[in-house]
Amino acid sequence: MNILAQLIVSGIVVGMIYGVIAFGYQLTFSTSKTLNFGQGEALTLGALVGLSLVWFLTARGLGIGLAYIVMLPLVLMFGLAQGAVVERLGVRQAIKNKSEAGWIMATIALGIIFRNIAENLWGRDALKFPSPLPEIAIVVGPVRIQPMEVVIVLGALAMMLAVEAFNRKSIFGKAVVATASDRDAAGLMGINTGLVITFSYALSSMAAAFAGVLIAPITLAGATMGGVLGLKAFAVAIIGGLSSGLGVVVGGLILGITETFTGYYISTGYKDVPGLVLLLLVLALKPTGLFGKAVIKKV
Amino acid sequence: MLVKTAIRTLIVAALVIAPFAVTSPYYLHLLVTIAIFAIVALGLDIVFGYTGEVSIGHAALFGIGAYTAGCLVMHFDLGFWPSIVLGPIVAAAFGGLLALPALRVTGPYLAMVTLAFGTIVQILINETVDLTNGPLGIKLNTPFFLDLRDYGDTWSILDMSLKRMRDVEYFYVTGIALLLAVLVINRITASRFGRAFEALRDAPIACDCMAVSVYRHKVMAFIISAAFAGFGGVLFAFSEQYIAPNTFSFDLSVQFLLAVTMGGRKSRLGPILGATIVVFLPNILADIALFRIVVGVIAAIALCVGLYAVLRRRDLLPKLAPPVALCILFFVLALTMRSITDFRLSIFGLMILFVVYFLPDGIVGAAKILLRQITPAFRKRHASTQAEGEASHAITVTTDAVSADALLEVRTAVMQFGGLRALDKVDLAVTAGTIHGLIGPNGSGKSTMMNLLSGIYTPTSGEILFEGRSIAGLGSSQIAGRGIARTFQNVQLFGELTLLENVLVGLHHSYKSTLLDVVLRLPRAIREERAARQRAADILSFVGLRDRADEEARNLPYGKQRLLEIGRALALDPKLLLLDEPAAGLTAPDIADLIAIIKAIRARGISVILIEHHMDVVMGLCDVITVLDFGQKIAEGQAAAVQANPRVVEAYLGGAVAA
Repeated sequence: MNILAQLIVSGIVVGMIYGVIAFGYQLTFSTSKTLNFGQGEALTLGALVGLSLVWFLTARGLGIGLAYIVMLPLVLMFGLAQGAVVERLGVRQAIKNKSEAGWIMATIALGIIFRNIAENLWGRDALKFPSPLPEIAIVVGPVRIQPMEVVIVLGALAMMLAVEAFNRKSIFGKAVVATASDRDAAGLMGINTGLVITFSYALSSMAAAFAGVLIAPITLAGATMGGVLGLKAFAVAIIGGLSSGLGVVVGGLILGITETFTGYYISTGYKDVPGLVLLLLVLALKPTGLFGKAVIKKV
Repeated sequence: MLVKTAIRTLIVAALVIAPFAVTSPYYLHLLVTIAIFAIVALGLDIVFGYTGEVSIGHAALFGIGAYTAGCLVMHFDLGFWPSIVLGPIVAAAFGGLLALPALRVTGPYLAMVTLAFGTIVQILINETVDLTNGPLGIKLNTPFFLDLRDYGDTWSILDMSLKRMRDVEYFYVTGIALLLAVLVINRITASRFGRAFEALRDAPIACDCMAVSVYRHKVMAFIISAAFAGFGGVLFAFSEQYIAPNTFSFDLSVQFLLAVTMGGRKSRLGPILGATIVVFLPNILADIALFRIVVGVIAAIALCVGLYAVLRRRDLLPKLAPPVALCILFFVLALTMRSITDFRLSIFGLMILFVVYFLPDGIVGAAKILLRQITPAFRKRHASTQAEGEASHAITVTTDAVSADALLEVRTAVMQFGGLRALDKVDLAVTAGTIHGLIGPNGSGKSTMMNLLSGIYTPTSGEILFEGRSIAGLGSSQIAGRGIARTFQNVQLFGELTLLENVLVGLHHSYKSTLLDVVLRLPRAIREERAARQRAADILSFVGLRDRADEEARNLPYGKQRLLEIGRALALDPKLLLLDEPAAGLTAPDIADLIAIIKAIRARGISVILIEHHMDVVMGLCDVITVLDFGQKIAEGQAAAVQANPRVVEAYLGGAVAA
């Protein structure tokens, strides 16, 4: 029983990270029907830039907690910029040419380049990211949980809620929603849909960079940290549905918990397998995802 | 044609003499690797080039082929021949497992699923140590078939040690495998299956409505492609003599994709060229001096080609300047770089970006386009149809007796879109052999009815009976298979196919030959293809487009496109033909042709439902007319009666001023 609760809690933590990355996929998919195959590298870069900032700030005498807080907005801004670059270099041309393969290839290529740059700047070894919170587990009943893990769950939720609130309340957010529901019509109404798509990419990478600095303190930061996470988030986005905000959270939790259970009861080696199995099952049974809506095609 | 034959002969000749020219075992091995990669790339092209879906998991399928060989050798002591048979089968099975769920939805799903699959396969190979020997990998031996040294002294002119003999022999084995792959893919792409792959990319909905299931053919393309990857994998395992999980990585999948895109899609030469580049790439990137030379040569070629093209056609300048400038810039960059080993992946990534931006059609595609632009004489030529036939036999109806019963019966059909009721309990009965008009103001539900009848929408409630059997809820391709063909309000042709090929896609149903027949070129396949081409030509004559049979459909003027759509629909041998505004946008002479064609169609016993806004067309042709307004049927009857109906007048012209 104890172990069950513990597994669920660990699963939730991992699942929320997947959820945030998948949320990023959803943002760009809704506006442009494309997504960033180098999203994992956006997470990597976010974590590594964050790490360098923390080093820089702590070397100037700031406490680690304060350094982490100061670093956050800077990393978010970096994420925004990185996402905009991906969209401009990789996606814009492909959307214009209506080429399905173009943007996939281009975002993969940018991902490879970013990974290579990260390797050259930060080295090939994984680095320890100093934790802003004490690394002593809090014991709640049968469950031991790290303070940083609580921050991950809360931070992830806060990030998604903030973006949702922005989209619903602000006028620019309405432009995003309008573009998502009908790009051509939005364009005719004077909305600069190109800019909206760039913006959605910026937000998407920002979410990934944020996920990077959230998870780095409890794992390690390194050039290859993002690849598998980005991939898992694919599974989450498909399981939850690429069109549903609630979907990515639930999808993330399902995948996270399934993985920790597989890791414990079968073997840690097989931890990554249920993702694909779930993915194929969902596609076979409900292709639009658990929370997705079927789109009626127009003729 | 001549160029093609020349290139083919050259390639075969090069394959034959290569081992005599290349004496270094290292380079001979590299040639073998190129052939293997080319096989995988050619297979990937079926999915990527033809159907337009992206697979980022071909390295995993390749690995599955290799590990099938490895496991057969390690566990059962079986050798090359069982492996070469089983490898493709196992890979195809895994391909099916992925494609069946992933292709149910359109969008980037296949790319996402195959990417995940690639990672999982690597993990599984590492984990299932009992089966695959895990990270340690599997050793196997290159097979040795004949000891040619027994066959006289001709061979002694060359160094023919046992090892060299083995290498040369295996080179020929992979060479033959490559030629076989090219042959098989040529046959598949030239068959009805290849046409379906291309058609579903151009216009998926129209493809389904021609009884060619988009889903089934996409899955089929992926399975064929997976089999080729597995085939390549087996050859690879025996060539490398050692396989380990790390080889079959994400990067390898991307290399395969790059090979196809860079070389040129939808061609044989392209993927082979791309595979050559991709295999040589690590060698080039390992040595800075060689790298500089290669980049320099590329920059020089780009400059020469660019200059020549611009001198011939000045307007090409803005299009050609950026890529040429980038090539030169890259050369300068290469000169300033001290080491490239750390930036290998970045250079690889930049290459992909360059290809996506400036070579979307690949090297072969770009060369073709350039040649065509510079020398207008070099045009794409299609196999022409020589057969001249009797147009009157082209259109046949399979119903023996035209009965007076309703061919189609719609009972209280409702179609609800959210809050909008596009069709509200509409009844419709179409008598066999008649032209049934469907009119009404815009937004009255006419097109919705068409989409309901052709299976694009499933009715919210109500029944649709065709020849007494319910068709509500069936997919478009099934309904088309039952004998309902349609045209589209906004023309949906297969733009890159020729007129003849467009009609041939409609004739897809008339074939009985299987993929195996096509690959082996059994008489049945040849006979059927010939017969279908003859019929397609006849159908084109029927709609008056016989003389343009070999043009690409997208180059037709609008009016002719509509006629071609009708021809394509007739190829389905329909009992009921749905025409959705066939006269829209047509010129007066075209409309006259159209009316004659529709009359001829009815004369052959095919029933027609006609949606049209040209009232003279409707009133002149239709036996019965149904009028819809706001999703409801407001009138039905013969032309004169409908015209006189006050509700119809009101719907079209607005209500009378309040009395």
